[in-house]
Order: sequence, then C-alpha cells, then structure tokens
Amino acid sequence: MAFVRRHLLSAYAFLAFAYLLLPIAVVIAFSFNDPLGRFNYTWQGFTLAHWQEPFGPPGLQDAILASLKIAVLASLVATALGTLIALALVRYGFRGRGVTNLLIFLPLTTPEIVLGASLLTLFLNLGVATGFWTIFIAHVMFDISFVVVTVKARLVGFDRHLEEAAMDLGANPFTTFWRVTLPLIAPGVAAGALLAFALSIDDFVITLFNAGSTVTFPLYVWGAARVGVPPQVNVIGTLIFVIAAGLMLVNVLVQIRRPKGAV
Amino acid sequence: MDFLHRHRRLIPYLLLAPGLAWLAVFFLVPTYYLANTSLQTGSLDVGYALTWAWENYSDAISTYHEQFVRSILYAGIATVAALLVSYPLAYFVAFRGGRWKGLLLLLIIAPFFVTYLIRTLAWQTILSDDGYVVDVLQTVGVLGDGDRLLATSTAVVAGITYNFLPFMALPLYVSLEQIDGRLIEAAEDLYSSKVQAFLRVTLPLSLPGVFAGTLLTFIPAAGDFINAELLGTPRQSMIGNVIQSKFLVLTDYGQAAALSFVLMAAILVLIVVYTRALGTERMGV
Amino acid sequence: MTRPLTRRELLERATLGGAVLTIPGFLAACGGGGIEGSGTTTAATAGGAKTLADKLVMSNWTLYIDIDEKTKTYPTLEQFTEQTGVDVQYIEDVNDNDEWFGKNQAALSKKQSVGRDITVLTDWMAGRMVRLGYAQKLDKSVIPNASNLVDTLASPSFDPNREYTLPWQSGLTGIGFDPEKTGEITSVSQLLDDPKLKGRVTFLTEMPSTMNLMMQLDGAETTKVDKTDFEKSIARLQKAVDSGQIRQFTGNDYSGMLAKGDIWAAIAWSGDMVQLKLDKPSLQFVIPDEGGDIWTDNMLIPTGGDVFTASTFMNFVYDPTVAAQIEAYVNYICPVEGAKEEIAKIDQSLASNPLIFPDAATLDKVKVFDAAAADDPELKAMFQKVIGA
Repeated sequence: MAFVRRHLLSAYAFLAFAYLLLPIAVVIAFSFNDPLGRFNYTWQGFTLAHWQEPFGPPGLQDAILASLKIAVLASLVATALGTLIALALVRYGFRGRGVTNLLIFLPLTTPEIVLGASLLTLFLNLGVATGFWTIFIAHVMFDISFVVVTVKARLVGFDRHLEEAAMDLGANPFTTFWRVTLPLIAPGVAAGALLAFALSIDDFVITLFNAGSTVTFPLYVWGAARVGVPPQVNVIGTLIFVIAAGLMLVNVLVQIRRPKGAV
Repeated sequence: MDFLHRHRRLIPYLLLAPGLAWLAVFFLVPTYYLANTSLQTGSLDVGYALTWAWENYSDAISTYHEQFVRSILYAGIATVAALLVSYPLAYFVAFRGGRWKGLLLLLIIAPFFVTYLIRTLAWQTILSDDGYVVDVLQTVGVLGDGDRLLATSTAVVAGITYNFLPFMALPLYVSLEQIDGRLIEAAEDLYSSKVQAFLRVTLPLSLPGVFAGTLLTFIPAAGDFINAELLGTPRQSMIGNVIQSKFLVLTDYGQAAALSFVLMAAILVLIVVYTRALGTERMGV
Repeated sequence: MTRPLTRRELLERATLGGAVLTIPGFLAACGGGGIEGSGTTTAATAGGAKTLADKLVMSNWTLYIDIDEKTKTYPTLEQFTEQTGVDVQYIEDVNDNDEWFGKNQAALSKKQSVGRDITVLTDWMAGRMVRLGYAQKLDKSVIPNASNLVDTLASPSFDPNREYTLPWQSGLTGIGFDPEKTGEITSVSQLLDDPKLKGRVTFLTEMPSTMNLMMQLDGAETTKVDKTDFEKSIARLQKAVDSGQIRQFTGNDYSGMLAKGDIWAAIAWSGDMVQLKLDKPSLQFVIPDEGGDIWTDNMLIPTGGDVFTASTFMNFVYDPTVAAQIEAYVNYICPVEGAKEEIAKIDQSLASNPLIFPDAATLDKVKVFDAAAADDPELKAMFQKVIGA
C-alpha cells in the first residue's frame, strides 16, 4: 500500500502522459502504413517508403519550413514583448492598468474567424500584400496574450528580496534584471515561449485569411484532407517532435557532464 | 542608465510600449473594423452599409442563447477536466522532473506538432465504434451496447479538453516550479498528512498558475468550433459554429460580428467575476 | 498606368514574400484601392491585346491536377510552359468554396486583384462570382477547344453561354455504403427511415449536394427550386436529425468513418469512393433511384487576372490528350469530349470506370442543382439551422 502511495503521483503522471501521447502513437504508427489509395485511414501494410521520402508530396517541404520559421520567429518576438508587459503589470503601479489588462484578454476572447478576417481588412486597407510576414504579424499578435498570462503566473510569487540584495551589492537595474530576475523567471518565460510556439505552428483559421499564397503546414494538411492526407504528414509530425526531443536530450546530457556549481 | 534613473516613472510605460503598440495596431484596429461591421446590414448582392443595426445584437442573443449557454458549459467542463488531468502532471514535472523538465514540457506540447486535424483523426481511430476503447467500456458497463463515443457531447468536451491541455499544464507548471521544496517539507513536518500539507501550502501557492491556466483554457475554448464540427452532431453546436456559419456560409458579416462581440462581452464578465472571487492582487491583475 | 513605386513600397515588396510578384498583385499593392474589375494588366484585355504574360497564377483544389510523384513536378503545367513560355505558379489553396470566398471577399469587394489568373470554384460559387461581377469574360477567340466541352455541361443556368467559366472536373453525389453492413441500398429514403441504420448515416454539409438528393426523394424539381418543396425536404431532414438517425453532417471526413466502419452509409462524392474502394473493395457507390446530383468545378478568371494568358491555358487543358493525362491522375469526371479515347491508351481500366466516365444511363439520373437556389440566403439559412450552425 505504501508503495502505491509513494508512487501514486508518478503513476498518475505516467497515465496522463500516456493519454496525451496516445494519439501521437497512432500518428506514428500510421506513418508506416502502406495504403493502396490516397486515404490513410485503415491499416493495410507496413512500409518504410514514406520515411525514406518524407518530402515526397510537393509543397510539403515548403509548408513545414514556412511553419517552423514563422513559429520560431513569432514565439521569440511574442515572448520578448509579452514578458516586458508582464513585468510592467506585476511590478509597477501605473495608470491604465485596467485598460492594459483588457487589451491583453480581449484577443483571447475573440473568435479566430472574425479576428483573421478583420486583420486581413487592415492589411488590405494599408495595401500590404499578404504572405509570410503578415502571418508572422498575426501570430505574434495572438501569442502575446498567452505569454503575458503565463509569465505573470511566475512573477506573482516572485521573491523580490533577491533583487534587492543584488542591488544592495551594487548592481544596476539592468544587470539585476539580466543576472538575477531573468534566470529566476526563466521557466515562466520558457513555458510562455513553448506555448507561443505550439499555438503558432498549429494555427489554421487566422493564418488562412492572412497567408496570401504562402502555405503553412496546417493549411497544407487541411487542404490535403479533402483528397487524402499523405502518410508523409505523419512522418513530418513525428520528425519535428523527435528532433526537438533530441535537442532537449543533448541539453540534458550536457548538463550532466557539467560539474555542479559551474555557470 | 542615468536616463532610466531620472525617469523612473517611465519604466513601466517603456516596458509596455512595444507589446501594446503591436496589439494596438494589429488587434485594436481590426476590432474597430469588426465593431463597424457589427452594425451593418446588407448582403453580397446589394452591398453592406452601416445602418446602426443594433438588432444584430438583440437578434444574436435571442436566437442563439442556447448555443451561448452550451459553449460556456462545454468550455467550463473541459476546463475543470483539464485542470484535474494537468495539475498532477504539472506537479510531477515541477517536483520530480529534475533534468528532464525540458523534455517533459516538450512532450506536453508534442501533440501540436501534428496539426489539429491529424490528432483528431487519430482520436477518431482510437474511439472508433468498433475499437478497443468502446469495446472495453461496453464490457465494463459504462456504455450501453448500442452506444458510441464519437459524435456525442462527451466526444466534443473530450476533444476540447485534450486540445487545451497544454494551455492548462504549462501555466500550472510555471507556478508550481517556483515553490521552494523546503516549504513543503516544513509543512509535512508540521501537519499530520501529506494531503494537508498539499492543501495548506502547495495549493495556495500554486493558485496564480491555476488562475492563469483556467483562463487560458476556458476563454479560447468558449469560442471553439472545430471540435463540435468534427466530433459532434447538430445538437452539440457551439456559438463558434454559428459565427463560422454566419461569416463563411451565409456571408452575414453583421450578425457574425455582433455574435462575436456578445461572446467577448460574456467572457469578459465571467473573467471579472472569477478574478474578484480569487482575489485580484494575488493574481497580479 | 499608375505612379512609380516609392522606396517604401519597393522594400515592402522585397520583404513581403512572393504574393505580390505577379502583375495583378503588383498593381493591387501599387494602386492600393482602385483597380477596375475588367483586368488592367499591361493594357491587355480591355482592347483584347494578345500578349502572353510571363507567369500564370492558378488556384485549385488539392490533387486536382496530375503530379509526377517522383520528381514533384506537374507534367501538364510543364508542357504548357514548354509550349508557350509561360511559367505557371500553381497553388492548391482552394479547400472549400465558402472559405475561398471568405478569404478573398474583402479584396474582391474593393475591386482589387486577388492575385490569381485562374481559380476553380463549384457551380454555385462560380455563379456568385459571375453575378457579383468578380469574374472576367473569357477570351473565347483563343479557346477553340472549348467546343470539346461535353454537351451536358454546355449551358448551365449561371453561365448559359459559358462566357465566364469552363468546367475543370465534375463529380457525382450519390450514396456510398458498405453492403456487408447495410444490404442493398437504392434510395436515400433508406438512409432516412431504416431503423437498422440509425446513427450510422452521414449527410453532407454541402447544401446543394444534400438537398438535391433530398428533394428528388419527394419528386420535386431541383434544376429550378421551389421554396415550398425545399421547406418540405428540410422538415424531413430535420426529423431525421432529431431522431438521431443522421449521425453527423460532414465535409469529406465521412470517408474516414466509412472506411473504419463507424458509418455504414453516407451521401458521398464519386471521387472519394474511387479512392475508398481501393482500401475497402466491398464499398459501393450508387446513384439513388429517385435521382442523384452532378456538380462541376469551374475555371474562371477573377478580378485582376490576365484574361489572354488564362484563356490560352484553358484551351491547352481542353485538348483531349492533355485532358486525358490530367484525368488519369485526378479520377473525377472529365468534361472534355475525346478524353475517354485518349485515356484508354494510358490505362484501359480508367476508361471503363463508370465513376470517371459515366455512361448515358447514369448521366440521365443526375441533375444539376439550381445554382441560384444554392446561393439563396433564405434557403441557406434554413439548411444551416438543420445542420446546427
């Protein structure tokens, strides 16, 4: 019984991860499927062909590259902008706090379709051609709110004494921020960035309206769904995850080899 | 540095400026267009004109209150479910994750790498009427013999829950990770059980994360349409589906915009109530 | 023409990705607000100037043209480039008629170019484009091959003289079903009334397809729709929804459900069934006894498109050999007379596939839904209510 209680949390976490990743397991499994037709719905046979040629279907490579580029750029910019806003909201008193909060929450509440269409109208009125950069702009726009809310959760419980100590020791505000604050809120900032990345790489509706002739990965998949999503899409999805996980793994291994206490 | 020192009071505004400017241009201006549209009437053939059509709003509420209520309900249930699943998950990553935290967090957002449609197709395979899951549930008795999981409200809510899990888990993690483990140890020394220690120390300290996670889950979930579209029947349609239909199919842009504003207002009211209930200062609002 | 580019616009153009690099797109951004709908590309179409543009930009549905999967190129398009020197930028960004229109409506309503020379839209949406003045007249003088158009599609209600549109592919809507689960199915009424099929049936969110079949059940005329008939069929549909007989209304995600056995019968499209039968040969497709539906995706030239170049392309794909080449890959219904004979040279089984080259008996049983009714706001609203939106 004690064994169970001790490991209850781990067991639960394992189950939760299993739940989270069960569909991914199915996706990976079907990347090895060998369908006769264009649909990839039922298992028909094992093949490595799609893995050998992951970019077979035309347009897939461009789509995934576009999505990755936009996601990385947008999450970086949104994280920077959002973190600054979160800092201002939690740390300082200023006029217009209510309005700021409103402006942060409103994008979250707006249905994507009207937001996407209205943004397109703006671009049209400005004479800005839609494409890669308008998608980027749109993604940063809706990512900011998510970053702000996430980073705020970190800042709210933050112990300011550490910063005061740093400043007592002679650090100026900028150094304090860079050497003390930022490392301590890093998990919050990182989580915000991850969330922004995930949102951006998966966005469909707002992107649809503002993409011009650029095709992103979700747009590609939705388009292909009409006639049959090629198994290579499963391969690509798996690959992205594996590569990202690989990078994380490398990071972990590097940390293990680094002696404790080194910066 | 001197500049900042002398102009201390400007600092918050400087911090806010870039982000708020971005939102002002790329969100507020479009919202203004939307507001304009919401008071228009017309059609594709005759054109649309600003006729101060407030009836767009009253019609929206009177005709579609069922979908509004249903959306709030589904989003609410999904949020609670997401919280129940994500809290232990985030707790595990925060306190037991160690070096593997980054990788575990990546696992949490992994589903987003395969696009919504593919993950939903995978769920449709898993929850298929003739699949293992339904079989087991029927054997156990949770499901009746002729029942199904797909194309039900359960499927829609489950879909929403699943797709918004990371939005709940990541903010929870952020808040939990900050808690000093020694506080928990001390609490366990003082209180008779782990559960009490959790309830008295950990949970309150993680409330900012709970607050953030519930907001980031509930708000977008209320306006969701795609889960109801793929996993539901007409009886599960949410307000997002109505807005989608009004905009794309019926090209009734005025009503679509009005419906959107009513939804936004409803959610904002709920946020205010929620925030007051939890205590504004603690949430940094 | 217009004023010279400012430096800012040049920079914008450089950074904003390829969307502006077509002549129409260039002019749209340049002018910013006022391009006349009749195509102002390099003093071309207004007087019927006959110079080919450097590039043709075409929007189409996915997998609607032949692809060489080894080289990732489009053979038909490459041949066109070889023959005419015109580069083709082919973008598969039409997923759904309403979605395409919703995306482009803002620009079209401002009479701006949408950056495409050709786009392919289904009958009723093509009709809307023509009606609203968003489609330009084809240059028929360079499309002699238009005479190859099959007779059944020669004169649709939304474009009686085919002045604005030319079919790209057609398709049939009928009933797709698994006879092992359902037995013989010959009519939509079985889907609506058979208790064995409760919860195992899906209908389409596409109103013309679904209602064409529903209305013919009651013997109503669908090429010219009467509102009372429509309402009657809507009521019948609503009953089936309320009782749970109809499981869901779907786009073409019914195909997955049919393949997995979650549904046993669906209102389905012929092109999907061709592919599904490869995965599950037991599946069958029938045109209901009371009558089925035939729809067509049509090429048209939206605002800002280059009429001469687009028309030249249309002529090219109406050559039976080229049409056969496209058809061999796409597997919907070819609108070009003579393609059947050509395709027999490539693959005999395709020539004799009734879902790709339907015989006269099949064609007799299908009707084209009234395009005006398909776009009527009142009728559409009634249907949307039934499907729950």
